[in-house]
Amino acid sequence: MTTQSTAPGRVLGTNPAALRTAFARRWGPWLLGLLIVGGAFALQSQIYVGQERTVSTIFMFVALAQAWNLIGGFAGYACFGQVVFFGLGGYTTAVLMAHTHVGFWVSLVVSALLATAFGALIGLPLLRLKGHYFAIATLGVAEGMREVVINVPSLTGGGAGITVPTVGNQATTAYLGNNGFYVLFLLIAAGSVAISGLVSRSKFGFALRAVNQDEDAAGAVGVNTTRTKVLTFALSGFVTGLVGATYAFQQVTIFPERLFDVNITVLMVIMVVIGGSGTVLGPVLGAVGLQFVSEYLRQHYTNVHIFLLGLIIIVGVVLLPQGVVPYVRDAVRTREFSLLANVRRYRL
Amino acid sequence: MSSFLQATLYGLLQGGLLALIAAGFSLVWGVMNIVNLAHGSFVILGAYVAWKLQSLTGVDPFLGMFASALALFVLGYLVQRYVINLVVNAPIFVTLLLTFGLDLLLVQGMNIVFSADYRSIQTSYASANFGAGGVRLPYGRLFAFLVAVAVTLVLVAVVNRTRVGLSITATGMDRGAARLMGIRARHVYALTFGIAAALAGMAGAMVGTVGTFQPADAARYTLLSFVIAVLGGLGNMYGAMAGGLVIGLVEAWGGQYLPGTWVNALAFLVLVLVLIFRPSGLVGKAYYAARVEV
Amino acid sequence: MTTMPATSPAPASTVGPPVLETRGLGRRFGGLQAVSDVSFSVPAGQTLGVIGPNGAGKSTFINLVTGHIRPTSGQVLIDGKDLTGAKPWVIAKARVARTFQIVKPFRGMSIRENVAVGVLHGPDGTSVMSQALAAADEVLERVGLGAQASRSPGELSVADARRLEFAKALALKPRLLLLDEVMAGLRHTEIEPSLELIDSLKREGMTIIAVEHVMKAILAISDRVLVLHQGQVLTSGAPREVLSDERVIEAYLGHRYAKRQQR
Repeated sequence: MTTQSTAPGRVLGTNPAALRTAFARRWGPWLLGLLIVGGAFALQSQIYVGQERTVSTIFMFVALAQAWNLIGGFAGYACFGQVVFFGLGGYTTAVLMAHTHVGFWVSLVVSALLATAFGALIGLPLLRLKGHYFAIATLGVAEGMREVVINVPSLTGGGAGITVPTVGNQATTAYLGNNGFYVLFLLIAAGSVAISGLVSRSKFGFALRAVNQDEDAAGAVGVNTTRTKVLTFALSGFVTGLVGATYAFQQVTIFPERLFDVNITVLMVIMVVIGGSGTVLGPVLGAVGLQFVSEYLRQHYTNVHIFLLGLIIIVGVVLLPQGVVPYVRDAVRTREFSLLANVRRYRL
Repeated sequence: MSSFLQATLYGLLQGGLLALIAAGFSLVWGVMNIVNLAHGSFVILGAYVAWKLQSLTGVDPFLGMFASALALFVLGYLVQRYVINLVVNAPIFVTLLLTFGLDLLLVQGMNIVFSADYRSIQTSYASANFGAGGVRLPYGRLFAFLVAVAVTLVLVAVVNRTRVGLSITATGMDRGAARLMGIRARHVYALTFGIAAALAGMAGAMVGTVGTFQPADAARYTLLSFVIAVLGGLGNMYGAMAGGLVIGLVEAWGGQYLPGTWVNALAFLVLVLVLIFRPSGLVGKAYYAARVEV
Repeated sequence: MTTMPATSPAPASTVGPPVLETRGLGRRFGGLQAVSDVSFSVPAGQTLGVIGPNGAGKSTFINLVTGHIRPTSGQVLIDGKDLTGAKPWVIAKARVARTFQIVKPFRGMSIRENVAVGVLHGPDGTSVMSQALAAADEVLERVGLGAQASRSPGELSVADARRLEFAKALALKPRLLLLDEVMAGLRHTEIEPSLELIDSLKREGMTIIAVEHVMKAILAISDRVLVLHQGQVLTSGAPREVLSDERVIEAYLGHRYAKRQQR
């Protein structure tokens, strides 16, 4: 689903079969995406309430993984503080709805825009850092932000949490309910995949992939690397903030420990890396797969499910360090399917 | 005034212990470019080893820490040799994820085996103290501090002066060249990781002696190691020492004078500012900061 | 590829400012003065060869011009415009392109896409993907990589990887091209096509600065040669004169060798 070399300039008007192939490559993924979204809508009426919540969570993680994929996958900047946008979005919505009685939809937009602006603001100094330094700096921002939220209880409720009014005359927007949140998370997930698809195929995406590989070389061919990185970070902040705001309303009462939980960031990273970073399909596969496995383990091996999850991550990462999608793509191209040969590529 | 002195003293003593915890973390990062997210769980595991040993045989934790060190060295060596070495050449998120998976495994494993209850290693002398001028100094903390400083100094000597230490440094600087000189990188990497884990285990035994611990504390020690390693400058052992003392003092003073938990926010602000303005750390060499990702 | 005003057939050097001019350009790294006080100018259409022993500051000099390293002193003027310390993409958009001594392909993108990045983001920045890919194909055809367009950079030979560097630079349709050792590591048979390519670019009126160790290449393409030694300009002039200058021989081969040659 990533842009493989298509050269319409060469095939246009020559041969109808090639023209059809080009057309299928261009529009096929979008059609497939629409079909899946349609299927997800249809699924809603077929499942129980408990399953509906589980599937909503999967949609939420598809969007989060896709957001991390923008900065971590396409741009290659390992952001370990992505959850700061999630928390910022969630708390903005909660504070607005609880203190100023603004409706949810307005809060949602404000939250996402605030997260975007925050991304641009911290991106300017932090995106000059590379590798682990960037990872830790962003982690520091996220942890620091959580501490700030804990320490201004008059605004945020502090460690005791804050509750969004959903009933009585304090409620500004009627609670969306399981059905409502299912649809909202589905739309956000679909939107995030579409953003990723557009980025992957666009002029901007070319700049981003060039930045990922070599910033000096990207600058030398005219790519404004600073603008590219900051815009990407802001965009990934936008999507994450949107998800955080929706999550806050869904949960009704939110706590700093949960909204700024470093494990949420780590989950995003795991999903992207296992699925294949810098691809459009990878984060979707990673999010769906990991949530599914995690939920299964939780239900069947309640006591040891996190232990098993750790084991699965280790085995998965060792066998497929580059992720499922790139592995399959390369394996198909080179006809080399052996996992052992794959392990040999990255070992010392 | 005496409360200030008391806080300063506690900060320095705690800082020494933190420095030992961070020293191994910093070594692994500097030499192999691996950020070990399981480092904190090594600390806690070390504490459990000493605790279990004491409750089974009555061995004093200050002797038991050598058992912790040995156990963790073996674990660390095997993990690096047979797991992490497999993905050393993959992008950095991969090693981060791998060590995170390891952390999940260890923390949950300890939860299952030892439960999530708070434990501490009791000794007859640890909480006894002598005082002067209104300031109390518990023997346990003093011993822990002295051991931590001594071990860190030994580590520096080992890295800078011995054959093993030099091969570690050389491999960290240029793996390809080190290989050409006949250094077995696989073994050296495993050795480095083993040493770091041993230090963490040792520190863990002392953590258990001066305070309480439970599996979930692991994350806190990993994060503190992060902050200290960056403050001190990557791979710089004296830097880790300085960073540990700074963080120990900041925590002690902040806990004393700042309302709520603003001290934590302050610590992270310091971290981010140092990264932006002085990425080579407080006493670090520019070499590590300028180093490209392998 | 218009390199000079269409109304004026005369050499650009006499009508406008030089394509590149540096005034007292220098860069200090801590205690090391890597480049100091480099002043010279290149008129339009000229090919300047830059030589000097290892560590003479040749690559640093290119990096200073293209904005990859900020100068600590002096000025860089491109077409008479002061672009000292401008970011690399600003320089690229002023139609100054470069290659890197250590090749820097964008891995994970095909050869065609590698070149298309420059077409999309260069001075003529199109947004139409099909146009950009078609333009990339044209450039690849010209440097002799047409058949490899769909492959990935990791599959290229040393010579082809250097051609890709060339292609990425040409994608900008530059007025000034800075070549950082594009012949290094090539076999004799592989050097010929590169020389032919440079020759054809010269005939189109492109201004070129070539850092090179291969003397045969320097002699073949340069109109003028500049010698850098220990970060400073040692001398400059016509290629044959410069290469027989004893100070140059001394800089390259050492004091004693130069003395022996004289005897």
